Amino acid sequence: MTQETLLQTLRAEFGAAVTGPDPAAPRRLLLDVERARLPEIARRLIALGARYQVGVGSDDRARGLGFGLIHLFAFDKSGFTTAIRTSAPAETPEFPSITPDIPVAGWTEREYRDLLGFRFPGHPKPKKLILADDWPDGIYPLRKEVPYNLVPPAAEDVAYQLDEAPPGTTMVPVGPFHSSLHEPAHFAVYVDGETIKGCDYRGFMTHRGIEKLCQTQVSYNEIPFVAERICGICGSVHATAYAQSVEEAAGLAVPRRAEFIRVLMLELERIHSHLLWLGVAGHLIGFDTVFMHAWRVREPVMWLSERITGNRKTYGMVVLGGVRRDISPETAEDIRSVLKKVEAEVLGLKAAILKDSLIHKRTKGVGHMPKAEAERWSLVGPVARARSIDIDARRDHPYAAYNELSFDVPTADSCDVWGTVLVRLLEVFESVKIMRQVLDKMPAGPILAAPQEALPAFRHGLSMVEAPRGESVHYVITGEENRPERWRVRAPTYTNLQGVPRMLLDNQFADFPIIVGSIDPCYSCTDRAVVVERGTGRERVWDRAELTTLSRAGGK
Amino acid sequence: MRFIMPLINVLAFLLLAPLFEGLLRRLTARVQSRQGPPLVQPYYDLLKLLGKENLNSAGTWPFRLAPLLAFASILVVVAVIPFGFRAGALAGRMDGILVVYLLTLGGVAVLMGALAGRNTFGLIGASREMVTMIMIEPVLAMTIILGAVKLKTLTLVAAMPFASGAGYGVSTVLMLAVYLLALQAFAGRQPFDIAEAEIELLEGPMIEYSGPNLALFKLSAMLKRMFYAWLFVSAFLPFLRTGIYPLDMLLQLAAMAVVFAVIGLVGATNPRLRIDQAVRYYAVLIVWALVAIGLAVKGW
Repeated sequence: MTQETLLQTLRAEFGAAVTGPDPAAPRRLLLDVERARLPEIARRLIALGARYQVGVGSDDRARGLGFGLIHLFAFDKSGFTTAIRTSAPAETPEFPSITPDIPVAGWTEREYRDLLGFRFPGHPKPKKLILADDWPDGIYPLRKEVPYNLVPPAAEDVAYQLDEAPPGTTMVPVGPFHSSLHEPAHFAVYVDGETIKGCDYRGFMTHRGIEKLCQTQVSYNEIPFVAERICGICGSVHATAYAQSVEEAAGLAVPRRAEFIRVLMLELERIHSHLLWLGVAGHLIGFDTVFMHAWRVREPVMWLSERITGNRKTYGMVVLGGVRRDISPETAEDIRSVLKKVEAEVLGLKAAILKDSLIHKRTKGVGHMPKAEAERWSLVGPVARARSIDIDARRDHPYAAYNELSFDVPTADSCDVWGTVLVRLLEVFESVKIMRQVLDKMPAGPILAAPQEALPAFRHGLSMVEAPRGESVHYVITGEENRPERWRVRAPTYTNLQGVPRMLLDNQFADFPIIVGSIDPCYSCTDRAVVVERGTGRERVWDRAELTTLSRAGGK
Repeated sequence: MRFIMPLINVLAFLLLAPLFEGLLRRLTARVQSRQGPPLVQPYYDLLKLLGKENLNSAGTWPFRLAPLLAFASILVVVAVIPFGFRAGALAGRMDGILVVYLLTLGGVAVLMGALAGRNTFGLIGASREMVTMIMIEPVLAMTIILGAVKLKTLTLVAAMPFASGAGYGVSTVLMLAVYLLALQAFAGRQPFDIAEAEIELLEGPMIEYSGPNLALFKLSAMLKRMFYAWLFVSAFLPFLRTGIYPLDMLLQLAAMAVVFAVIGLVGATNPRLRIDQAVRYYAVLIVWALVAIGLAVKGW
């Protein structure tokens, strides 16, 4: 399947209902489709082997175009993406729902029901997704006339109506605060005895309105730093994904050295994230020793990040057109030595985990979801690869410098949590491999492109970055006021979380934490403490050596 | 002397149980490459809890009674046991069945508190606790029955069969193995800390408790753990007996510290099992314990 054959197929089958393509970057197909035939065309794309990514809704009334909705599909094997765009008149923002065919589109449609006031006839679960329970009806915050800082008055006695419990089950509330969730989220788990029979999810309790903020208040070059704060673990992923989508939309060329440095930071982030997750996974099955050791092994990675960027996390490296800091020869040596150490330690961890029969017992067959189901729910990242879905944006849709680097994409066929553990462990070694190649192959040269006066408006740019927990998608439509007209972020959890109720089905309640944990929902951590003396108010910052001595036997 | 022995037992257990707990925590920390809390941290924890407010969220008397009952039942057990291989004044009047009964009563108190608390997590924890009790108490009972079969008496002295020269037989060695395999479950540590399962059940049956009530439950659990360590030492390590009472006590305590070290090491190197997996494991233990009794009846 190539872009041309796809285009021919669609034209032959749908005739005038499909128009375009609009000019777009290579490997991107942007088509306009007739609104009424949206479900048919989406269904056809899936049948042709596409994977649904996300939808992008926009308020284009100022340009006389009504409301817009773009659904994104990826053809992973053929290495290109297809966007189908449709619009609705300003008075009747109504789009036929594609959720009955593509369940993972459910959240996209509910999101735009909340934020833009769209209606989706045929949606199986038209409930609130993002807005707070007491947010008044009729105010759609992503519409242009709504100010970004609007604070409607709070209301009492409004509560989200959870789904009806299936007959014969009782509801166990996991959340909004629960020790197995590291941020607020509410799962209503319906159990029969200890067997999970269903689950309803109410999340988005810390929705910060970053898209709205960046579309109205800040400028192109400031957004990478906001984007980085979307996630405390894969910040670099979001900053890079944003930058790449704007660069693609505006046709900005990035110096090659900067692309290599971006890869370096992304892979460093992956190693840290995988080790962090491995520790958390151990904790979730009650195995704190794995937790402590995985985080001990991870620590040199954090100090390395600080040496390269000045920060353990939230590196602030990426800007439009390049990166902010270069890698000096001394830093390169530092990186090599840390990689060597981490590689050896993770080998030890891997051997211990592979041999531990109780870990097998707690993870094998747990959260089982067959490949076909996983494809239906468009799972991404290690969770998908553990179900023998061989996708990886780094290889399938190469960005930055990945086309010059060789690496394997580990997969597993056990379709359960164990597979996820395995895939993530093996990926650490691939990341080490990639980082070594980056250090060897990185060309000399500038790290930042020359600044441009103004970026062209209303161009579309799409970027996929393989985050540690799966593919992150950013979509940008450039704007006129030195900031995007529309910026859509889809983190991997957005997709994977929708598949969680299916993964939980018929498992034991005791496995709830590790199943939800297996998709790696995120939380950030601050490891350094500032001690303030009461009375004098004097501050003292503990340094690494002191903290290590305090916390660890031998002080090594 | 015989009349102050129960008092000595109670004092020794009450004073030392938190220390053994501290040992457990320290050891776990070392395995995890941490410094760990000071050995006396559990004393501080208990003191802190004692100074806090008792919340009675359920507002019912069984909820208030439960921690007292749990604490009282384990205290009686401690008072009557022949600690230091020496039977106190109470030991002669009580038998092994009573000890099993009192330990079960402690478990029932935990259930009662959880049920009275009416918290969803507490209820799930209670059902797990109940299953664990049903499956693991038989091993305890059969350890005592083994002594009874060997010595043809149910008195508490029988809980330490070899002290009276019964010697190691096939049945004793088998029971020793079964007891060791059940030790983590007795102690309520990984892989069998299933009822409290901090991650999914948020301490399960304890979830509604706070302050002094929680302290009582915690202290009862520590005492219980210490009792199980003592039972092992006293039933299976008779050679520690010198005949000098204070020395015997010290030797037993030292051996108990070793048992705690084992509990700590196993706990730190295992994940938590699911209740269905644990039940299958317990079932096998019960079968082997029965085999040991059968062998003892045959005189092996």
